[in-house]
Amino acid sequence: MRKWWPGLIPLALILAFAAYSHTSRLEAALAARADAALADITLDEQDIRASGRDIELSAKAFTEQGRRGALAIAETVRGVRRVNDQTALLPWTSPFTWSARREVTRIVLGGEVPLPETRTSLNDIARRSGGSIEVVDQMRYSRGAPANFDAATRLLAGELARLSSGEIKLADTKATLNGMARELGDRELIMLALRELPAGFTTEVNIQAPPYVFQANKDPVTSIVTFSGYAPDNVRRQIVTAAGRKFFSDIIIDGLRVALGAPAGFANAVTVALGDLSRLSTGSLVIADRTVKLTGDAFYEAAATQIRDTLQSRLPEGWQAETEISVKPLAGAVDSAVCQRLFSDLLARGRIRFESGRATIDPDSASLLDQLVAIAMRCPTTLVEIAGHTDADGDDAANLSLSQRRARAVVDYMTAAGLSGERLMAVGYGRMQPIASNDTEEGKTQNRRIEFTVR
Amino acid sequence: MMLYLAQFHLGPLLAALLLGLAMGWIAVVHRGAEMPTRWLVRIGVLVAALVVVSVTQALRGRIYISDSLYLDLSRAAYWLDLALVLFAVYLAGCAVGTWLRMLLVAHQSRPKKPSPNPETDSAKGPAS
Repeated sequence: MRKWWPGLIPLALILAFAAYSHTSRLEAALAARADAALADITLDEQDIRASGRDIELSAKAFTEQGRRGALAIAETVRGVRRVNDQTALLPWTSPFTWSARREVTRIVLGGEVPLPETRTSLNDIARRSGGSIEVVDQMRYSRGAPANFDAATRLLAGELARLSSGEIKLADTKATLNGMARELGDRELIMLALRELPAGFTTEVNIQAPPYVFQANKDPVTSIVTFSGYAPDNVRRQIVTAAGRKFFSDIIIDGLRVALGAPAGFANAVTVALGDLSRLSTGSLVIADRTVKLTGDAFYEAAATQIRDTLQSRLPEGWQAETEISVKPLAGAVDSAVCQRLFSDLLARGRIRFESGRATIDPDSASLLDQLVAIAMRCPTTLVEIAGHTDADGDDAANLSLSQRRARAVVDYMTAAGLSGERLMAVGYGRMQPIASNDTEEGKTQNRRIEFTVR
Repeated sequence: MMLYLAQFHLGPLLAALLLGLAMGWIAVVHRGAEMPTRWLVRIGVLVAALVVVSVTQALRGRIYISDSLYLDLSRAAYWLDLALVLFAVYLAGCAVGTWLRMLLVAHQSRPKKPSPNPETDSAKGPAS
């Protein structure tokens, strides 16, 4: 053994060579092995550096359990002597804030987020908010998120698709939404969606919506009334049905699109405004939010004045009327025969309606009456008999009285329109002059009528 | 863990083993100077102390001399471990080499059948 010492010199050379050639390789290998071992552990700002057989693990852990678990795994990596613990827990933030800002084609996610899974999920949702949307992730990890943060933020981020611009903020459990809805009804859909927020979350919503526009155009040449714009689903059918009564001789083209978000009183306002549009020879109706703008030509001056003066008062509270009504130039005068034919043709296309059992003219007949007035104005020298008729139901005397009163109501309407009362003669015939069988409902309907006869 | 490190340092370990075998083999017949006992003791104490340092993992971390200059004790600990292992393997090689040479010498020095020329036979004794 005493003679073995000369070998120590070459042994030292072997050691020097091994240290020189193996140190960097060993350190790189150990760092890679530790990194692979920690692949399944969720850590933020993870950094592993090897020095000799020792590794230094720097990371921000989401939980204390996760931090200890990461250290335990690092210590079991083969070849590692010691683990230098440079780990820490993520900072605790209070209030825990999160935000998502939409800038037309860009979404900026900011604030705190508790877990990588949540971060990934929010990025995915934001990316799905639009076709070529750019998502900028400025979120940072932090602890202190309220319960159900993940569900709440995912729901809120989903609503970014319904905003054209704006910002959603969450401070602990209070969500604030500001901005502009992308389309009509989106604001209402957002409000509906926010009801699904987990219990304990509150909302403050200040989202503007695009104007709720309804348009109607009446073209006397083609006798077409065109609807465009938006209407709520349940109101749309009501509007079209009412228009069918008011525009009795026109074809209605329904180009309405269904959308939520109509202002309160929308159905009433549209019905009133369409009634006035039907009284115009040609006209246009534009309803934007709570403003009703009606332009066109009335058949005669009194109708124009009446529409101008009364539209505002007939609209629901909070609505604004703007009218630009002129008067259609009176057509040329015609003789009594032509006048009679014009009356008959018009009344063949529409009937003057009254409230059931009463002599009150249905407002839906205003268009027909205005056109009858316009015809009467073209034959100013004629005497016109306005005759009321009923069906055979009920008492004869009552029917006779009702027919007289209804004929009188029509005469009153026409005199109010500016026609001379001396030219108009109201007559009631009751059930005496049926034009169809009173045995059927259809026949009775035909018998209940007002006739214009030029004398 | 040790198997992984052994595989990683297979080349130096084999070199140390072969060196030890060679030195052990030579030492049996070599006429060179022997290490004095006091030096043997000193080296033994030093190695024992280094083994203690290694086992207790006393070398760790860094000692900073300035902001950018430091002694990396973790790396030094690795080199120490490597040195001790190579030294141990070298000693094992020496022991095996010496033992094998001793076996060979003993085999060659064993009396064979009576020789007609005993002087010639007696000249083949061990040289050490």
